[in-house]
Amino acid sequence: MGREKEKEKLSEKALNLLRSRLSDPNFIFRPLSDSPDSNYSKLKFIISTSVTEACNNSILLLGPRGSGKVAVLELVLSDLLQQYPEAISVIRLNGLLHSDDNCALKEIARQLCMEHQLLFSKVASFDDNSQFMIAMLRECGLAHKTIIFVLDEFDFFAQGKQRLLYSLLDAMQSVNSQAVVIGVSCRLDVDQLLEKRVRSRFSHRKLLFLSPSKEDTERFIEHILSLPMDSSLPHNYAAEFNGRLKKLLSDERFKELIDTYLSFNFTIGHLVRFLFQAVSYMDLSAGFLSLGNFKTALSSNQRQPKLECIRDCSVLELYMMVCMKRLEVKEQASYNFYSVMTEYKSIHDSFQTSDYYAANVCLRAFEHLLQCQLISFIDNKGHNQSVEFRPVKLLISSAELHQGLKSYQQCPAILLKLMDR
Amino acid sequence: MATEESPQVTRRATRSYSASNTAIESTNPPESYKPTINDLGFRQQPLRLEDLFSSFPGRRSQILELLRLLGPLNSPMFPILVYGGPSTGKTSVTLQVFRHLNRPFIYSSCITCYSPRILFESILNQLLFHRKDSGHSYSSVKRCERPSDFVNYLREALENVITNLKGNSGKVSSKMSGRPDGTMVYLVFDNLERVRDWDKSSTILPFLFNLNDILKMPEVGLIFISNTSPDTYYLNIGYAEPIPLYFPDYTEVDLRHIFMANQTNSRLYASFLDVVLRPFCRVTRQVDELAAAFSSLFKKYSEPLSDKEVAPNEEMKRRLFSHIRPHIASALNETFQVRSQPLLKAETNQETKKTNSSRMPGVREDFDKIDFHMSTSAKYLLISAFLASRNPATLDASLFDSTGVSDSHKRKRKASEKSMDQKEMAEQELLMKGPGTFPLERLLAIFQCITSLAEDSLDEEESHELTVEGGSRGLMSDVLLQLSSLCNANFIIKGGSCPLEGSTRYRTAVSEDLALKVARSLKFPLSKYLYRR
Repeated sequence: MGREKEKEKLSEKALNLLRSRLSDPNFIFRPLSDSPDSNYSKLKFIISTSVTEACNNSILLLGPRGSGKVAVLELVLSDLLQQYPEAISVIRLNGLLHSDDNCALKEIARQLCMEHQLLFSKVASFDDNSQFMIAMLRECGLAHKTIIFVLDEFDFFAQGKQRLLYSLLDAMQSVNSQAVVIGVSCRLDVDQLLEKRVRSRFSHRKLLFLSPSKEDTERFIEHILSLPMDSSLPHNYAAEFNGRLKKLLSDERFKELIDTYLSFNFTIGHLVRFLFQAVSYMDLSAGFLSLGNFKTALSSNQRQPKLECIRDCSVLELYMMVCMKRLEVKEQASYNFYSVMTEYKSIHDSFQTSDYYAANVCLRAFEHLLQCQLISFIDNKGHNQSVEFRPVKLLISSAELHQGLKSYQQCPAILLKLMDR
Repeated sequence: MATEESPQVTRRATRSYSASNTAIESTNPPESYKPTINDLGFRQQPLRLEDLFSSFPGRRSQILELLRLLGPLNSPMFPILVYGGPSTGKTSVTLQVFRHLNRPFIYSSCITCYSPRILFESILNQLLFHRKDSGHSYSSVKRCERPSDFVNYLREALENVITNLKGNSGKVSSKMSGRPDGTMVYLVFDNLERVRDWDKSSTILPFLFNLNDILKMPEVGLIFISNTSPDTYYLNIGYAEPIPLYFPDYTEVDLRHIFMANQTNSRLYASFLDVVLRPFCRVTRQVDELAAAFSSLFKKYSEPLSDKEVAPNEEMKRRLFSHIRPHIASALNETFQVRSQPLLKAETNQETKKTNSSRMPGVREDFDKIDFHMSTSAKYLLISAFLASRNPATLDASLFDSTGVSDSHKRKRKASEKSMDQKEMAEQELLMKGPGTFPLERLLAIFQCITSLAEDSLDEEESHELTVEGGSRGLMSDVLLQLSSLCNANFIIKGGSCPLEGSTRYRTAVSEDLALKVARSLKFPLSKYLYRR
């Protein structure tokens, strides 16, 4: 009993370690940044030269969501902050939060004030803030201090008038300032969104973040999941854990599984999420990762929400959907609740089904379908019409509905027949 | 219906509410009660795992998976999206799991927090242990409307809370002091599907989904609860998808377990469920709707029994079955009317916010329950509005000519194939178009026609009953007053004005059932005047 408890404690500790690793981007991206032609090295070179040579610069980091743009950037910045603690100050903005120019400038002013121990005024106007920013840029330039502006979700800043981008880039042009603007975006065409006056002031340096190669992925998985030999964990437990992991990694079935997963989710972020799930499923009493954990994680990722929705429907709701499908087959351009009801009634009249309910019951079923988005209104216009009269459309294909009906346990046989006709 | 009773009670209750129910509140006046860090836990005796399983029949695997994803004490987590149909126990399972784990969490539902500002402020209030009271005129601790301010405040507040938690965990054993365990703080966002409507899901929804990346605090766990599947969240910017956790609808077996819980006479109830559960499951499998239907049905079922404690034998079951059978058939088509009302109401409210639209079904259900309290002239007005909406304007003359009786049977001709087709098309078109609109003049004309007709017929029986009889002089103002009150009650909808004439057009969405009912109460032969293609 005591040994069981002990063992569980151990595996819990290991699980905790793995989970904190997986949610720590620094740990994940550190090993990928060794090689000289990695994005890490390129980015570090660009930024450090502009810091040391006291010039202005601007870069775009592009790549799909979860490819580690921000993580690599943060690694570079933390390294540089250690290297030149006095010469850098970082301003971080996020397009989701600061896409409004006014708000963005306020945030810049706030962070500059925090950085330089100045008093920040909440009521300062846009003009005040922008003058303050320009003055700060000049001061920092004179003091040979580089301000690095990190604009996450850069495409949001490219909406509207782009006043922030313009004033930022323009200040970098005219004053003897020292600043680096780093835009991070998952839109590869983001430089096309820029206005002409902004684009002409922007250096078109881009760094593309691609998904890792297959060998890298394997190395990466091993790096993350193997336990350290020199930690508080007992040596023999860690050794056994790693041994089993090695065996698992060389397993053909495991490789196949990872391949299936990566074939539809290919970025590191997705992979990390997948590993997190698999690790969470680890059996604490056994204390080791098994192929089963990865299989469960994969199956929980390969969901078909629409089919699940159909399985959650009642028989009456299935009837309604089949009626709509039949109307579509009849090439009726659009239909609403009442036309579905006439179809439903005609089915009942010709086949004498046992499931015939009053209109209000059907209306509720109809609304449930609307709620789980198996059907939706065609347009958003008719707000002053009541639900029954607004035209709807099915959001699932005929094949999906057929498959759903087949997998439905108590599906009446007549429905499948009605689908075919 | 004591189904899932204990979780249901706490289901929608926010923690501040459940805190106010505890003994602390009753001894101290509400003003002097100051929330502390202890309030981030559930403030109730932690639940054992077995109790958790037994209070949620059919949810074992979901509970286990949620526990796995939350992980052991102090371990960071990825965002989770809990989803499943309505009344599948998403919220209650999540909250009770936190009660089991005794970890600090912040719960906010996007139904009660119906705008970004209220959502943000409610989270901050809970994190900063702020309680709205009369002392500061029910204001929130921070005023924050924008996500950018919210993130700054949130980060600050979370850091405080986490250092506070860290400081505590070292000192005292947490079990003793009733403190929540661990240094992770979990934010639970319930009813996330509501957020889609807030600003056409352009800023707040992406913000919430990316909150984990924005905060970059491993000590914060995010849990989203939604009743629609992840594929219904269309975001054009993409997001780091949360880990999905699916709650399927209860199966018939699960439903039986749920309904059998806390029954006084379990044998009797089991035989009742044998009879009703299957037919009802074909219509809906939602616990709340079934519960409402069953509670009244069970009363009917046990009516013939003098002793409610008796365990039924075979013969008695058969007798009870034959007694209940007609009730089941009617209940299948009936009870839902009442049940569907809150749903409709909720949607109505939401819709009326956007436009001053109306949803007749909600009203109709009202009137099936309560009887009509409507003046005779209002009833006539309603009928004439119904006629004006349904009948084409060109037919008014022939329908309401001096003879007053439509002669639709005369017009019957043998229908050719082509005209049948046309007829079908027209029928479909009518169904699609819904009720038509009409100007005020037409409504008044029809109103006068039918009241004069009614006058003729009623004169013979009881002439004093008519209130509209007052003739054309007193009539107009009265009718306009009635019309405006009918508009207010959403029986008649004031539509946009006609672009050519410039006068307001009206429309009614009264269902045919209701119109016929009203007509019957007046003894008015409505079907005679209804034009049918």
